[in-house]
Amino acid sequence: MSRRHPFTLLALVAALTALAWILPAPAGGLGTAAAALALAAAAGPRRVLVPALVTAAPFWLFLLLLHDVPSTIAIGLRLTTMIASVVWVGALLPPGRLVEAMVAAGWGVTAAYLFAAALSAVPLLKARAQRIVDAQRCRGLSPRGGLGRRLRALRALALPLVLSVLHEVDERALALETRGFVPGARRTPLAPPRDGTGERAARWLLLVACGAALAWRIAWRG
Amino acid sequence: MARLTLERVSFWYPATERPALRDASLAVAPGEVVALVGNVGAGASTLLLVAADLAPRVVGGIIKGTVDFRGRGNGEGGRGIVLPTPWTQLSGMAFTVRDEVAFGPANLGWPRERIAGAVDRALDALGIGALAARDPATLSGGELQRVVIAGIVAMEPALVLLDEPTAELDPEGAGLVWRLVRALAGDGCSVVVATSDLNALPEVAHRIVWMEDGAVRRIGDPALLAENALCEAGLATTVADVWRTARLGAPYPLTVAQAEERWRQ
Repeated sequence: MSRRHPFTLLALVAALTALAWILPAPAGGLGTAAAALALAAAAGPRRVLVPALVTAAPFWLFLLLLHDVPSTIAIGLRLTTMIASVVWVGALLPPGRLVEAMVAAGWGVTAAYLFAAALSAVPLLKARAQRIVDAQRCRGLSPRGGLGRRLRALRALALPLVLSVLHEVDERALALETRGFVPGARRTPLAPPRDGTGERAARWLLLVACGAALAWRIAWRG
Repeated sequence: MARLTLERVSFWYPATERPALRDASLAVAPGEVVALVGNVGAGASTLLLVAADLAPRVVGGIIKGTVDFRGRGNGEGGRGIVLPTPWTQLSGMAFTVRDEVAFGPANLGWPRERIAGAVDRALDALGIGALAARDPATLSGGELQRVVIAGIVAMEPALVLLDEPTAELDPEGAGLVWRLVRALAGDGCSVVVATSDLNALPEVAHRIVWMEDGAVRRIGDPALLAENALCEAGLATTVADVWRTARLGAPYPLTVAQAEERWRQ
């Protein structure tokens, strides 16, 4: 499945999510949630399925507190579909591959950049936050203890992190400019994923399925 | 004919009244390595930004004077600048070192085969071929610095501007960068480098530009780094400084080899 074109994987996620909300509850949600969880299980029970279930669990709890049981099941199954399919695609699709697909499909470099930069920023920010925590610890700040202490530690972490990120924006703009990243640049996709006729057809099929489900649901309600 | 000419250039950063660069004039020929030396606030980094056409176009601010560059915009046949903070120079669009180095060439729209060749040469030149598959976010500062330099070199610019390129590097890495600078100049590329690694300059630079308080104070050959005035400013090579401190008499040698030769005489 990971060899599929990134757009196909995204289309599958979008279709599952859309169908979860379009099809009548609870059967529709049950079907889409089962499909999403099956995909997650196939991608790796511990790596994908467990994180998906752990992420979905608090939502079920909140729903149960706010709604009756039928509504909880209906909305919970829909949310589980969304969460499981997003966790699945996140685990399966390397961001670089998606960016290559976007560039190859003729998307502007700016749009592709916004997407890739947002994804690549996460590990960089995590590493920087850790360095700031280490530095603050060296200066006697303890991030452990009571709530007040933790809040003070959070402020000592957040302020330098935000300021350094703002400073970095300026320098990164210079770096991108000098490396030819300017609006309208005709960027060469380095390793464009193969997009076969079958996959394109599958994406259309998913779109048609969602459209048909929507039409049927409107007609059925009427 | 000079590849880069600055004539009486002054530059003010946004919202400042004092110019960061004052009446600076400089000409850089093809194949020439020019080193900018000076203390903090001398204006070397600003001169590089102006030469790279980033100040004021991207940075903002006000410029007076003339900057003439005989080449194309950025990249191939144009200008490439390496700033002193490698962690801010990553594209944010690459998830391996190879793709990071290929980022610039890809933006130039080169065919994939050409990009692959340029990336391989740049990785080899910086000795980072073994890092090609690594995530740039996991690299050390020194490794990142080499990746960033490789990313610029891969674009085959005609003018390379380096701001403290060896600041993050160990001696071996620094030696590699200086060998690369010589090789670039040998291929006809012009290089302007702002550096505090003064001991490397006698072997690398064709000319030294001493900058002070935003102005070009003196321009000369590397022997300038052994003059009394630069010794007093803390901008001489270590050998020259030691020779002077020991009152062994001028002219001071620049390098260990020169000192040894003088000592034998």
